[in-house]
Amino acid sequence: MSEVLRARDLRMTYGRDTGTVHALEGVDLDVERGETVAIMGPSGCGKSTLLQLLGGLQRSTRGQVWVDGRQIDALNERALSRMRQRAIGFVFQAFHLLEELTAVENVELPALLAGRSPSAARHRAAELLDQVGLAEHAGRLPVSLSGGERQRVAIARALSNDPLVVLADEPTGNLDSVATSEVLRLLDGLRAAGQTQVIVTHDARVAATADRLISMRDGVFVEETRLDRGPSGPLSELAGLEG
Amino acid sequence: MRATVAAGGQASHGIQLGVVQEVLLALLAREPSHGYQLRAGLQLALGPLADALKEGQVYVTLTRLERAGLVSSERVGQANQSERKVYDLTPAGQQRVVDWLADTTWPKPAPAEFHLKLVAAAAAGLADPRRIVDAQRNVVLTELVVVQRAALSEPPLSVAGLLLEGVVLRLQADLHWLEACARFWAEPAAPNRATSREDGHERSAARPRPADDVRA
Amino acid sequence: MGKAVLVLRLAVRDLRRRPGHAALLLVAIAAATTTLSLGLVLRGAAEQPYQSTRAVTAGPDVVLSLAPQPGSTVDPSSLSEHLTAPGVTASSGPFPYTQRVVSIGGLSVHTWLQGRDSDVAKVDRPVLLTGEWTRPGGVVVEAGLAKAIGAEVGDAVDIGGRPFTVTGTAVTAAAEPYPKAAFAPFFSGAARPPLPTGGIDRGPVHGAPPADGFQLVPTGLMWLTEADTRTVAEPSMLAYVLSLKLAHPDGAPAFAAARSTVTERTVLAAETWQDVEASDGWALSKKQFSLMLGSSLLVLVAVASITVLVGGRMADQVHRAGLLKAVGATPALVAVVLLAEHLAIALLASGLGLAAARLLDPVLSDPGAGLLGGAGQASFTPGIVAVVVGVALSIAALATFVPAARAARISTTQALARTVRPPRRSSWLITLSARMPVPLLLGLRIAARRPRRTWLGVFAVATAITGIVASLAARASRLAESAPGLDPRLAMTQGLLVISVMLAVQATVNMICVAWATILDTRRSAALSRALGATPGQVSGGLSVAQLLPALGGALIGVACGLGLAQVLDDDPLAVPPYWQLAAVVLGTALIVVICTAIPARLGATRSAGELLHAA
Repeated sequence: MSEVLRARDLRMTYGRDTGTVHALEGVDLDVERGETVAIMGPSGCGKSTLLQLLGGLQRSTRGQVWVDGRQIDALNERALSRMRQRAIGFVFQAFHLLEELTAVENVELPALLAGRSPSAARHRAAELLDQVGLAEHAGRLPVSLSGGERQRVAIARALSNDPLVVLADEPTGNLDSVATSEVLRLLDGLRAAGQTQVIVTHDARVAATADRLISMRDGVFVEETRLDRGPSGPLSELAGLEG
Repeated sequence: MRATVAAGGQASHGIQLGVVQEVLLALLAREPSHGYQLRAGLQLALGPLADALKEGQVYVTLTRLERAGLVSSERVGQANQSERKVYDLTPAGQQRVVDWLADTTWPKPAPAEFHLKLVAAAAAGLADPRRIVDAQRNVVLTELVVVQRAALSEPPLSVAGLLLEGVVLRLQADLHWLEACARFWAEPAAPNRATSREDGHERSAARPRPADDVRA
Repeated sequence: MGKAVLVLRLAVRDLRRRPGHAALLLVAIAAATTTLSLGLVLRGAAEQPYQSTRAVTAGPDVVLSLAPQPGSTVDPSSLSEHLTAPGVTASSGPFPYTQRVVSIGGLSVHTWLQGRDSDVAKVDRPVLLTGEWTRPGGVVVEAGLAKAIGAEVGDAVDIGGRPFTVTGTAVTAAAEPYPKAAFAPFFSGAARPPLPTGGIDRGPVHGAPPADGFQLVPTGLMWLTEADTRTVAEPSMLAYVLSLKLAHPDGAPAFAAARSTVTERTVLAAETWQDVEASDGWALSKKQFSLMLGSSLLVLVAVASITVLVGGRMADQVHRAGLLKAVGATPALVAVVLLAEHLAIALLASGLGLAAARLLDPVLSDPGAGLLGGAGQASFTPGIVAVVVGVALSIAALATFVPAARAARISTTQALARTVRPPRRSSWLITLSARMPVPLLLGLRIAARRPRRTWLGVFAVATAITGIVASLAARASRLAESAPGLDPRLAMTQGLLVISVMLAVQATVNMICVAWATILDTRRSAALSRALGATPGQVSGGLSVAQLLPALGGALIGVACGLGLAQVLDDDPLAVPPYWQLAAVVLGTALIVVICTAIPARLGATRSAGELLHAA
């Protein structure tokens, strides 16, 4: 199986009795190695839930998830944690950086949690910060970084353990236009470098960094588009220039 | 003569930059230039959007401007070689540039044609407005992806990147409105309420929802 | 009126929304008020039993006892000069006495043996509790000693190889209770003769007595016939005692001070009724003191707990205050609602404390067997109730002040935005923790995030352990010099036991408060750690470590302070409690911390991390 991620008939129901919410109503997904998939839909369509199920942060009501060919539904919490350490890097809308840690300390945290040596973790973190263009901000606290910089730190953190797949939940959701561009550039660079990524978003711009775009509505996939990178039509038509 | 807004086809999503004439005049306002210099300036500012700007188009326009008395030219070097001409603004041309800079005309924001298309389709029972919306959304989305990718391949802080960002943001606004259309026409009672809701639609088109801050 | 109803409704709703919080607050304040009530009630409970005993037994104002120096003998007639001293109105004696080891029921006790053919006298008439007065071959055992060694009428007694029989037990107001009874050549009262060196010494005067002489050890009192006394006494240890009644009992100390003398041949000791009364009240006054001290410690720990509790809820309370302000409530109303909640809890807690104190009081105020009548139910005067309620309300008001002031001060928008205090950063701890195993890494960082809360935890544990260790040390020093049989002085350890239990309860409550606040505060970063690959075990381990390290630090500080406190408070040399007890205190602290944090942390850790992260 060459899929890094595979989901079959995923269902998720919140609440019980009268107040049930069906967040997911049967979703199938295969993500190939090296592929970047964007899942788009309005808020409340279940895309964040899907991402959490794929990363083992929640357990589905029904259905199966495989990560790197291994089914994770039956794993206990401890094994799920180990799986996340090895295979998954998370990026969140709200960044979720620890405020009391500097950029580099945030980035090295997953490596430390995975039991790497402090010097190796620090070395890797410095490399990653350099890769996201924040080498000179390594010693700064998140509070002194802009939104785009914080999200770039968070992305570097997601890469700390060289994950098989990066799962990003609305990575540009809290960012202004300029910061969004910064982050999109970074994600696009990761895609070009062959990093497998699943990005859920309702920001259409994020789709530009994807190989495949899946539209989601009311807990189901409604449409799937392969976004080939062949030569595009002349953009000048858009400008409406006339002599 | 400015391009009108919401005219269907590709122009409906395009950036109405206006005529090239004023642009060339403005570029000449700094100093007299060769035609190829002007073209290079346009290409820098437009980036990938300048791809289809044909080499001849600049010269054709300059010739028109000269004929209208807005531009004067002086031959340098071999005769009849238009690329050897150096162009300069006449006083009338300068006035035209000043007028253009002061002009605050803005593309009309109402996507009235598409809106009426949906209303008509629903009223006549010709087609399901939702399918029309879906198809349109796909087109806009694909276009957005193409432009965004072009923007990503521009170096940071490029002036052309700024233009591309403008395209992307407008397309994004269009997508938001199309989402609103999809929701509206998905309602069972939608066609009956079409007339009474018209005002609301126009408002939502004029001021698209802010992009991302919906989630609490 | 409408406003009062609104305040009441808001307060009740909020309390019902958070019953756990209210319960912790209640227990924290109630533990402090219970001990405080006990301390206050026991104060002044001791005098009456002694006074009634003194009245019934015609207790003397001054007891003069004359003993020979080693190698000498004394003449009882030399005591008669004191009979005519100014102010003396009545007397009895001189009676002969000596000191010997008495064996009874397998126990050997050093005992003062006093020769009294009759219990009838003008001064000092021992009152028989059981049996009858002594006859040749019989002894009457002082009631306190009888209780401690379990002597009953008819028991066989061996004095210097001679068999005797217990004929009765009796109460006197003329001697200190077992095991502190003392006559010349020892000075146990306040009156001391000047020594050649000019110093004052409790011990035997002029060097150590010969091994077969008078011993300064825990001693009781028995009465024999005068003839039997002379028979059992070594000639060099035959002494005489004289009981005097004065015209002015209050002048007894001055009278005694003027008469205590040491010569080369004799020692004349004078003990006053005030000395005996103080000695009778010793156990009780120690209990009072330890309860007062303990309740102060408890109040401190309670304040620490409540500060942590309120601090943990600060974000929520400020937000709530913001909400109320946003809909038009004034800051004052917001503060009043908070105050109403906490005052209601404090009132309930003081009620509980007073009730608990009433239940425990009879156990603690037992005056001892050597006196007539019980202490009676010590009274809960309105003053005591007022003090207890006042302290409880002050604690609550203190706890309310900070969030109320904060809520009143900050703007409504800020409050609604839930701007929680940002965590602190401690670079060296973060760097250090990077080299630790994962639970330590997480734990150290959690502890460093909220240094004030961590220090409060250290402080609370240290305070509690100080009290507990001081109690253990006091108990150890009692045990180290304990008299044969059931030493009544060990009764004071009842008070210490109450203190220790209360402190342990309070410290546990505090621990729960700290753990609760920390878990609330770190919920998001804990969820994040799990998303980044930490196992639930590592995360809850980290939370435990974050509590455990300060608690262990506090426990060690507490052990040191407790021993120091015992040293300062106890006039006897410090007796270090057995090491196993100290180890048990420290390990028990660790165990309680682990239980208090591991369970909620574990529950929190198994919740879906996804939900928490998404909600944030």
